[in-house]
Amino acid sequence: MPDLDRRTWIKLTGLAGAALASKPGVGVASPPIARLAELKPGRPVPFSYPDAASPCWLMRLGAPTAGGIGPDGDVVAYSALCTHQGCPVAVEDGRFICPCHYSQFDPARGGQCYQGVASTPLPRVQLEVRDGAIVATGMDGLVWGRVDDGPLGGGR
Amino acid sequence: MTRRVDHLPLPPPDARVDQTVCQYCTTGCGYTVYTWPIGRSGGPKPAQNAFGADFTRPQPAQAGVVYTEAMHSVALQDGRAVHVAVVPAADSPINRKRDHSSRGGTQARATFAADRPTRARLTTPLLRIGDTLQPIPWDEAINLLAAVVGGVRARFGSDALTAKAFDHGGGGGGFENNFAIGRLLFDDLEMRYVAIHNRPAYNSEVWGSRDRGVHELHYTAEDARLCDTLVLWGANPYETASAFYTSHMLPNFTGETAVEKRAAFDDGEAIAPLRLVVIDPRATASLEIARRIDRARTLHLRPNPGTDYVLADAIARVVYERRWHDAGMIERRSADGTFDDYATKSLRRGTALDGVLADATRITGVPRAQIEQAAAWMAEPKPGGARRRTLTLYEKGLIWNYKNYDTIAAAVQLAVLAGNIGRPGTGCGRQGGHQEGYVRPPYPGERPPPNVDQYLIDGKGKLFWVIGTNPYRSTPRAQAYRKRIHARTQALTTALGRAGESATRRADAIVDALAEGDGLFMVVNELYLTATAADAHLVLPAAGWGEADLTSINCNSRLLRLYPAFVDPPGEAKPDWWIMARVARAMGFDGYGWKTAEDVFRAGGESFPDNRVDAVAAEALPAETYAGVTYAELRERGQQGIQTPVRRDPKTGALVGTTRRYSARFGSSDGLFHWYGSDPWPGYPPQIQKYLEGARAKAHPFWLTTGRNQFLWQTGYHDRHQPAKLDAVPLPYIELNPADAERLKLGGGDLVEVFNDEGNAAFQVRVLDSTPPGQIFALQYHPKGTANALTSAYTDPKTTIPWYKATRVGLRKLAGELPTTASLLPANRF
Ligand code: SF4
Ligand code: FES
Repeated sequence: MPDLDRRTWIKLTGLAGAALASKPGVGVASPPIARLAELKPGRPVPFSYPDAASPCWLMRLGAPTAGGIGPDGDVVAYSALCTHQGCPVAVEDGRFICPCHYSQFDPARGGQCYQGVASTPLPRVQLEVRDGAIVATGMDGLVWGRVDDGPLGGGR
Repeated sequence: MTRRVDHLPLPPPDARVDQTVCQYCTTGCGYTVYTWPIGRSGGPKPAQNAFGADFTRPQPAQAGVVYTEAMHSVALQDGRAVHVAVVPAADSPINRKRDHSSRGGTQARATFAADRPTRARLTTPLLRIGDTLQPIPWDEAINLLAAVVGGVRARFGSDALTAKAFDHGGGGGGFENNFAIGRLLFDDLEMRYVAIHNRPAYNSEVWGSRDRGVHELHYTAEDARLCDTLVLWGANPYETASAFYTSHMLPNFTGETAVEKRAAFDDGEAIAPLRLVVIDPRATASLEIARRIDRARTLHLRPNPGTDYVLADAIARVVYERRWHDAGMIERRSADGTFDDYATKSLRRGTALDGVLADATRITGVPRAQIEQAAAWMAEPKPGGARRRTLTLYEKGLIWNYKNYDTIAAAVQLAVLAGNIGRPGTGCGRQGGHQEGYVRPPYPGERPPPNVDQYLIDGKGKLFWVIGTNPYRSTPRAQAYRKRIHARTQALTTALGRAGESATRRADAIVDALAEGDGLFMVVNELYLTATAADAHLVLPAAGWGEADLTSINCNSRLLRLYPAFVDPPGEAKPDWWIMARVARAMGFDGYGWKTAEDVFRAGGESFPDNRVDAVAAEALPAETYAGVTYAELRERGQQGIQTPVRRDPKTGALVGTTRRYSARFGSSDGLFHWYGSDPWPGYPPQIQKYLEGARAKAHPFWLTTGRNQFLWQTGYHDRHQPAKLDAVPLPYIELNPADAERLKLGGGDLVEVFNDEGNAAFQVRVLDSTPPGQIFALQYHPKGTANALTSAYTDPKTTIPWYKATRVGLRKLAGELPTTASLLPANRF
């Protein structure tokens, strides 16, 4: 079913749970990443999602941002793989910067590439707060080096 | 808000594969296009997809297949919808290891589709009927245009015909289109009032170099990997020639090219990582990245606006004084007597060094120590005594400077003085903006050429043919210009209405109406209904990149490759060569029987001088010579292409490319370098000086300079249809130094109006220290405005090249605010 997007496919088939939940992947909540109360501005937390090969950054910005979660609407997370050629981006002075060709992304603007050679914003991790802990539940955008955010090599 | 995807279809093993080249910047990155039917996508195992790549695991960083969200779309091929993937080529010598930029990386989404924003493409000819542009068939459009062009010429002469046409390579341009345009306008219509896409006249931007015997494209990309010192003069490649910077300059700066230097240099010659000299009023991204890596190997010179040639001559004087110059070059490769003129006027040999440098510092504002350091970094022999290898790349900051001719001449003479030409790791040429692809009969006008903007503003000319350019945005003093063109085109429309819109004898009615008043008939060949096209009487839909076969060269290597068609043009859109040929045939001109793009390519190729010559004689060939090359040959060579000028070996007939030029002789007819003596510094021209005195000085306290943004190609004709780009650059903007921002109580995101006598425009404020206090940088073009509204009408009397890069302005804050999607983080902090 190559040409339907994943959500349409799930809706049409009603197969959302069974086939996908057995492996890590988008649509499957991650283990808790951090306690909301312990997340501090300037102290980003690395984690992986939807699987161990996809590093991400969780951060509290200290100011509300569109789509941010938590009581202050300032908690966000992004894939840490640069959308240019996949190098892991660093968090520096409130922005992401890639050490390979210096693309820069703004965590307060949906991962926008505001300088550099990358052709797309950083994929944004969808987050939820469950029992005071932050978990990842989905990925908005394609993680670099993949053609599917679902289970690698499978699903379609 | 940018729509994201979580899945990309893979090309199946039997997908159609086309090798092509990026349509945008001068770098000319190689791209591979995969197209395949809907419903037939491949799978993640290597044998299941055309990449032959294993997508059951993530691709490795910097080594894997590059296939991002923006590199896929669905478009039409032979009338049916197909998947299109446009990805960086794996084997390009230009963008190594699949490097690319945000511009080229989004080309899949720039293809035409009725359900994407590119639906705005023109799909039929449009004729202004009454006051409304209405779709008409090609036959009607061609017949009308041929009759109006012929009627105007017969009644008012060739000088009543004016045009502004692209002459570049890459998307929309290329050898085929350029040749057809040139043949009709120059050979058959004998038009003198023709201007090139980005300037008001038909001229070279670098006569100051060509007259010396140096064509501006003589180096090769490897020279940026091999040089000891790289000078970026009014050029910011990270943002305007991105992969040239990241694939070639950056590895040299970080020392990764040491092995290549070892192989290319003489035995025992010292090898060290690159030193970078940036000469620019802005601290550019290209500079700041290098500073982040090793500030000690960077040098930044910030001459006062317009004074670059004085700086170049002062640096040259230091080189000469310290005896770092190449005496052999002066003795054996210079035209008789010309060096004395240079030494007297440019080097000011008769004045003591202290006096020359004191004058230079006073005029340019560059401290003496920096002038001397620049000279040492460009020309002081290396440890062990070997001559330093310096590559100087300049672009619009130098070209569009005050006194274009003297400025370009000074830069190239500084390089040649120090022997920096014709050897690996040397050269002094253009970085390039767009790609090239120039082949035309000679321009029939004089030199310096007439200023076509002024001619039209003065009410002269009856017909204006605009081909693939948008002068309402891009010409100097654009606001005054477009008001005037608008009024003149409207005058014709009004006159036609007064006569009672004629349907049966429209062409005659138009020519009759043009006889009175200053009405102007405007015809535009375009991809989109641009601001200029919206004022036209006739709009002709052009096919672009990937929709028609074309060929071009890039600037860093003169690498000729084929850019094949792989999707359908929108509706009835046709390549410009087809449009020109149809008009020419309808007018009864011979020699336009071309059936294919390759027919035009070959006809153009044969118009170059005979290239059956040896390597030394080839130094005198035009830089783009390609006679003998065929599309089949280019297909065969794929991403490796062939470097022009191409010669045909006189014995074997084999095609031979040219890596680097001027090792043995220069490009002049006698093979020698022709030195030139600069004018003394004359002060600023009246168009600028008026802002430096009295009340006007108070009202216009800032210097304004302009340039580009990483994400937007030119006026953003395609990029305005890419939501992620408009999120990042939603409005035209200025960069304002924090000290000025604080003084004026302006913050990032505030809206200001920038103004002077020439015009005004609204900009969003970005606070960053790229320019010094008192200088503003403005984005030159944006879909929502143009900084060229503010530029002066000054042009260099020697070349008719404008001084786009500096003028004086005032600014005021607009009341209230607009929400913005743009990041306001400083884009020059690395
Ligand atoms: S650097 Fe230039 S040629 Fe290369 S992908 Fe970007 S725009 Fe295209
Ligand atoms: S991989 Fe990040 S900028 Fe190239």
